[in-house]
Amino acid sequence: MKKKNRVVYSIFTGPLVTIFSIVVLIPFIVGIYYSFFEWDGIRTNPMTFVGLDNYLRLISDQQFINSAILTIKFTFIAVISVNLLGLGFALLVTSKLKMVNPARTMFFMPNLIGGLILGYIWQFIFSDAFRLIGENTGFQAIFRNWLLDSSLALYAMVIVFSWQMAGYMMVIYIAGIQGIPGETLEAAKIDGASAWQRLKNITLPLLMPSFTICLFLTLSFGFKIYDVNLALTEGGPAGSTELFALHIYNEIFGRYNYGYGQAKAVVFFLMVAAVTLTQVYITKKREVEM
Amino acid sequence: MKAVKRLLKGIALCSIVFAVSACGSEESQNGSDDSSDSADKITIFQDKVEISEQFEKLAAEYTAETGVEVEVWGTTGSDYFQQLQVRLNSNQGPTIFSIQQFTELERIHSYVYDMSNESYIQHIADGMALEYEGNVYGVPYGLEGFGLVYNKDLVSPEDMTDLDSFVATLERLDQEGVNPISLASNSFFIIGHLSNYPFSLQENNYEFVQQLNNGEVSMAETEEFLEFGRFMEAIREFAPNPLEVSYDQQIGDFATGSTAIIHQGNWAAPMFDDYDVDFEIGMMPFPIMSNDSLAVGVASSWAINNDKDDAEIQAANDFLEWMFTSETGHRYIVEEFEFIPALTNIEANDLDPLSQAVLDASNNGKVIPWSHIYYPADSVRGVLLPPTEEFFMDDDITGDQLIEKLDAAWQSR
Repeated sequence: MKKKNRVVYSIFTGPLVTIFSIVVLIPFIVGIYYSFFEWDGIRTNPMTFVGLDNYLRLISDQQFINSAILTIKFTFIAVISVNLLGLGFALLVTSKLKMVNPARTMFFMPNLIGGLILGYIWQFIFSDAFRLIGENTGFQAIFRNWLLDSSLALYAMVIVFSWQMAGYMMVIYIAGIQGIPGETLEAAKIDGASAWQRLKNITLPLLMPSFTICLFLTLSFGFKIYDVNLALTEGGPAGSTELFALHIYNEIFGRYNYGYGQAKAVVFFLMVAAVTLTQVYITKKREVEM
Repeated sequence: MKAVKRLLKGIALCSIVFAVSACGSEESQNGSDDSSDSADKITIFQDKVEISEQFEKLAAEYTAETGVEVEVWGTTGSDYFQQLQVRLNSNQGPTIFSIQQFTELERIHSYVYDMSNESYIQHIADGMALEYEGNVYGVPYGLEGFGLVYNKDLVSPEDMTDLDSFVATLERLDQEGVNPISLASNSFFIIGHLSNYPFSLQENNYEFVQQLNNGEVSMAETEEFLEFGRFMEAIREFAPNPLEVSYDQQIGDFATGSTAIIHQGNWAAPMFDDYDVDFEIGMMPFPIMSNDSLAVGVASSWAINNDKDDAEIQAANDFLEWMFTSETGHRYIVEEFEFIPALTNIEANDLDPLSQAVLDASNNGKVIPWSHIYYPADSVRGVLLPPTEEFFMDDDITGDQLIEKLDAAWQSR
């Protein structure tokens, strides 16, 4: 009986494991291998083994460091705004409002639009709509083209990213909220707990599993953001928004430093893995069982 | 039931007919194969989106004439070279492809067929062949040139011959209530093409780029660059912020007469067809260091994949020979692709005014070479663009400081 089970399992997992190895595992290992070489990506051109030189070069690469700081800054702000919005939306659409169903659809809709298109749409919003609002209301200090200001362009990206991701996170939070047993909340209500107390002492603690997932997803999506970055700012103005993924792409396919770019990608992977695993570890510990 | 049977019979019959006809065509192709040593199919991958449709028509005409199948791959636009590289690397490269930059040829030269012994290269205009270590590796698509495109009603070339008269003219235009000059925000339009001038005015621009790469010279210590910085200051003073001007807007404002001068090349000419332009358009040199020449170069060159077998290379040579010497080929190059021919055996008539200006300059020897084809990979977007955007966003940065920043960016590349 057991033997038969194993066969059945392998029939089902086999294809997936094969595909996963071909498109993820093997390229990943090959990527690490390439990061020890100086190579321009052309098969017939020489690959020189340079050992850890590529990694050592990273330490003094100012552009790399800038890009890393920008990415961390972006992810930090984006994680907060996406999750606040997502949780806010979720609380809103699980309340007893009349508009609940259309509201759910509308909040989720931006997530159905691809990042590239979203970037181009928002480019128009920032360059034309913002300018018009500014001209007509007089608030030109706020409503001007954020994409042309190196100190604001990053926040413009946060706005677009939040707009895209908040709906998705909302869905996860809704699932979490609906999993909270009504009796608990009702009991608290009868005991005289205010809405805020109920939220703080019952809903949020019981939502911890949702937080774990949402924080993990936003952290890793935020770190890896590429399409919105490319379509909205292309790293500009004056290189002020070149986030990590775009930076690595430019290093490999723009400057043709294949090995060096791979080294950056490996460091990037380690960074994202370290941050997200720490986060999952911490939030997991705070999850409570009913 | 009967109907089903009939249907099945029909399908069976159709497939037999199809199979037989397919065999027939294969046979005839094999037949033509025997007459020469060349393959009966080639593939072509090229970078110019503007001509992709017309090029497929040309390929169809070639197939009709010779029976050799020509497959044209869809052009991908800005990531053309990445795509090409991926395909070459995986042994699925095209037979004929295009190369835009000299630095690209340097990188993939092991894949490029040496055309030095082919007969068609004798038609290439002087100095326009794509060469590497003295051998010919590519035949130019056509000439392209850029400079100051101006409205003949508002400006004349005599007005602007050096920095002082350039600034004076911009001031005059400003007082007349037109927008004197504008640049577009794309990396090549805002700095890429403009940055050619100080390089191209050097005695040997290729050498200069190499020396700059090695840190042997600096822009800040070179007169032409400092003057270039002053030109950029003047442009910033009189132009709308280039970061806010798209290519379309730039062309539109010029075509409707609200901008007097734009920095563009003859590739922009077809865009004016969408407007009722009620004035004459001209192109004049960018007057840096009293320069009186247009920057003229080759946009792209045709090259052959060295990795293919001899028969396929022979087929590719036949195709290029046909395109460069036959009447059909010439007609396509001039009329359909609207190129300024860089081959001496092609007559160019009825060119648009900008292309005519480029051709005249080239015939009169009033040209300076392009330099951006020698820049290290990704320099325009990755190195030159950020300091330039900063310069246009912050009026406190002087032209000299811009040049220093460009220097620093080039060195930290």
